[in-house]
Amino acid sequence: MADLPSGFWSGWIVVVTIASLLTLAWLVLSVYFSADASDAHASEHEPVWDEDLREGNSAPPLWWFWLLFGAMIFSVIYLMLYPGLGAFRGMLGWSQHGRLDGSYAEFDQQFEAARTTIVTSSLGDLQGDAELMATAERLFNRNCSACHGEDGGGQANLFPNLMDAEWQWGATPEQIEQSIRMGRNATMPAWLAPLTEQGVEQVAAYVQTLGTAQATTHPGQVQYSQFCAACHGVDGSGNPMLGAPSLSDDNWLYGDSLDAIRLSIAQGRNGHMPAFNEQLDDAQIKLLVALLTRQ
Amino acid sequence: MSGMSLHKKLEENAGLLIFGILFVSAIGGLVQVLPAILQDSLNTASANARVYNAVELTGRDIYIREGCSVCHSQQVRPLIAEVERYGPYSQAGEFVYDRPFLWGSKRTGPDLHRIGGKYSDDWHRIHLIDPRSVVPRSIMPGYPWLAERDVKTSDIQAKLRALQLLGHPYEQADIDAAPGQLEGMKEIDALIVYLQMLGSFHAEDSADGHSENQSGAH
Amino acid sequence: MATGQKYYYDEIVRQLVLFSVFWAVVAMAVGVYISAELIWPTIDFGQPWLSFGRLRPLHTNGIIFGFGVSALMATGFYSVQRTSHVPLFAPRLAWFVCYGWQLLILLGGLSLLAGWTSSKEYAELEWPFDIAIAILWVSFGIVFFGTIATRTIKPIYISNWFYGALIIVIAMLHIVNNLAIPVSLTKSYSIYAGAQDAIVQWWYGHNAVGFLLTGGFLGMMYYFLPKHSGRPIWSYKLSVVAFWAFTYSYIWAGPHHLHYSAIPEWVQSLAVVMSLILLAPSWATMVNGVMTVSGAWQKLKTDPALKFIVLSLAFYGLATFEGPMMSIRAVNVVSHFTDWTIGHVHSGALGWNAMITYGTFYFLMPRLVGAELYSVRLANIHFWLALGGTMLYIISMWAAGVSQGLLWLSVDETGELSYSFSDIMASMAPYYALRLVAGLVFLLGTMLMAYNFYMTVRGRATVKMQPPAVDPVYGMTSEDATVGALRVGTLGAST
Repeated sequence: MADLPSGFWSGWIVVVTIASLLTLAWLVLSVYFSADASDAHASEHEPVWDEDLREGNSAPPLWWFWLLFGAMIFSVIYLMLYPGLGAFRGMLGWSQHGRLDGSYAEFDQQFEAARTTIVTSSLGDLQGDAELMATAERLFNRNCSACHGEDGGGQANLFPNLMDAEWQWGATPEQIEQSIRMGRNATMPAWLAPLTEQGVEQVAAYVQTLGTAQATTHPGQVQYSQFCAACHGVDGSGNPMLGAPSLSDDNWLYGDSLDAIRLSIAQGRNGHMPAFNEQLDDAQIKLLVALLTRQ
Repeated sequence: MSGMSLHKKLEENAGLLIFGILFVSAIGGLVQVLPAILQDSLNTASANARVYNAVELTGRDIYIREGCSVCHSQQVRPLIAEVERYGPYSQAGEFVYDRPFLWGSKRTGPDLHRIGGKYSDDWHRIHLIDPRSVVPRSIMPGYPWLAERDVKTSDIQAKLRALQLLGHPYEQADIDAAPGQLEGMKEIDALIVYLQMLGSFHAEDSADGHSENQSGAH
Repeated sequence: MATGQKYYYDEIVRQLVLFSVFWAVVAMAVGVYISAELIWPTIDFGQPWLSFGRLRPLHTNGIIFGFGVSALMATGFYSVQRTSHVPLFAPRLAWFVCYGWQLLILLGGLSLLAGWTSSKEYAELEWPFDIAIAILWVSFGIVFFGTIATRTIKPIYISNWFYGALIIVIAMLHIVNNLAIPVSLTKSYSIYAGAQDAIVQWWYGHNAVGFLLTGGFLGMMYYFLPKHSGRPIWSYKLSVVAFWAFTYSYIWAGPHHLHYSAIPEWVQSLAVVMSLILLAPSWATMVNGVMTVSGAWQKLKTDPALKFIVLSLAFYGLATFEGPMMSIRAVNVVSHFTDWTIGHVHSGALGWNAMITYGTFYFLMPRLVGAELYSVRLANIHFWLALGGTMLYIISMWAAGVSQGLLWLSVDETGELSYSFSDIMASMAPYYALRLVAGLVFLLGTMLMAYNFYMTVRGRATVKMQPPAVDPVYGMTSEDATVGALRVGTLGAST
């Protein structure tokens, strides 16, 4: 273990620790059991500090002596077993990370079978198991709810609703797993420069009419086709491969007001879902996918 | 000489009493603290550790100013529940550029040593300004003023020079460029940059050669 | 020696007691406010200086350095004169310490509100204040040890060993821990980094508790308890071994604040064993105190001051047992980072420090002005408020802390963590509400005491008291004492 002191300092620690403990033991023994111990106060005249302030002459209790020596004996045993005295790592070979390894070995023994079963089960089976779904909800609560909301309904006009049918990056279990595992980065560029303010105004208004009858004749249509249709589709139905949301439904992640849409077009949007592949293992991700594709 | 007669000498001589107290109380520090400071093992950077850049350092100093460490630790203990909850446990080599250390002593909020990358910048911004807008039950205070204040650029060079004096390997170019890097930033921006890099000094291949089971995903 | 013409400097003691009570009320009120912020997080009204992260250091520093140190200076100055049989050495320096310290607390408190902080716990004040503390502390030491050096009774009384340890060890800790490179007037960087900084800081932090909140207040106990109960300290021998064992072992225990952290295991283990050894001297003092009162129990019926002191010993025994237990790794896994720590600190700070100080002040104030306490009835009410508040505080935080610790570790049948962090914190609301009530009750008691003292001292001059005649057996001239004190290092020949 790299953290054990070496050379001179190891010896220093051992010698000073033991010598100082022995000195303490000597002091206590000597004061407790020496005859001359309190001769100063045994004389007929004892010092008086403040009117009646004196030091009493009672013999200290033996149980206290044993309390101290018990603690010291415990210390000696402890320092034999655990790292403490310089480079001596203790007879148990104990270390913090060793203890963690032990915990993980126990953990695997206890839970590996259950976790392997989760990974190999079908989503349907997992969804049918109420206890596992409760575990999945715990996982969601701990890892997802800070952004997507405690009920998964999305929040803050930034974090998508996961409880509805619309999935910006695709609704299949594989696509959802990919979203969790590797994260997602949406990059909607800022269109203010190419469109100009007037163009932003028109496209925003046009986008609001998508999916309705007025759409065909709107003045924003030309610029929409030129700049937006490549990702969002000519009819505004979106493209999950690119994370381009549908613009023809009632679902507006960043808000459905004209102002919000104008802002999205003018400044762009860069939604970021972090990757969870380092935080969650296969069983955990599978459970989350099962939870999110339930119904 | 018995213990009692030794004590009597000290008890009757103020100078000896002062000396005795100083000597006896210094032993612990000389055994525990001194070797820990002089030995290199706690001062050896992990493979991924590097000095904080001007923006990160500014964010870190805002973290200090607002007392974030009063409620948030930066110390994941090597316990299975903590590794599962937060991520790989903290190791000494990750902290060698931390002045002061910010391990904390109380978790009224969660540990932050592995917070980097777990949430988007947007989330941090909203959460810092009004925590309850994304975590309804949170009791964290809001920090709306961080979004309004410009970061201070006037003392960043003095900070880097002070750290350089303490052995942090900053180049003159880093110091020259520092004020420019902070130009136009709000305090909240710098703080988010700092939060997002927390945990990035962790190296799988640690000093003691131990790498198994250090990741939450096992 | 013309002792007949010399008077003790008690005006300064009276002033320090009043400052101490003032800071107690202020810092406890801040504590109550921040405990309310943990229930209603928006009551900082978006103001940086009302934010929890800035107020919490103000609370801890206000209690430790405002209330605590002022009380220790007051009682130290009072008792060192009487146990040395001479007035204070360098009285003008003593006045400088008295007012300088109050100014430091005031400005230091404001600087914490402004966000000037080194972030190291109980050492948050930035470097200009650290320098001021060092100067004031050394001045405190000069007055204290100067008085001892000019004493006219040869043996130095027990309480002065503890006050002396307070001054010496805190000076050492303060200077070593706060070494830093300044960047500007309001910012510095610690000369230690990372894990090393952590080890130094908790060597300091734990022993600020050890030698200030424990050692210093033990000095208070060793003087005022026997004085007040009219009985000698029970066992001198026990005092001797307890003092040296205490001074030796406490200093090692700091790294138990860093169990399972990134500091080496060997440092932690030494802290474990010394924390356990520390139980012995801690309890020795408790036994010594309790046995001293034994035989004067009848006074407890009528005397609120003695009740406070005796109760404080019970809480002292409790807290010094709990501390070593929490330093055991297996317990620490659960207790660390939780409100258990907060409960433990308050069983010491409320139950031990505040109560022994209250008891001492109730004894001291009437004596200083030569009058009866304004209202014994109010003091008795204060006693029950203090006891009730402390119990409620400890119990609520203990329950909160244990449940936090266990819930953080809890996993379900697939090995998944049972609760999110915010689930666990949300379940703390009832405990936090109880704690707020506890704090309010305790604060109310302290305010009653402040009122009681105000009515007691109002319009009354400080009584002039004189040192006694030189003792025929143990007496010496102050010149003897000074010369002896200067001959350090001649252990064999000094007598």
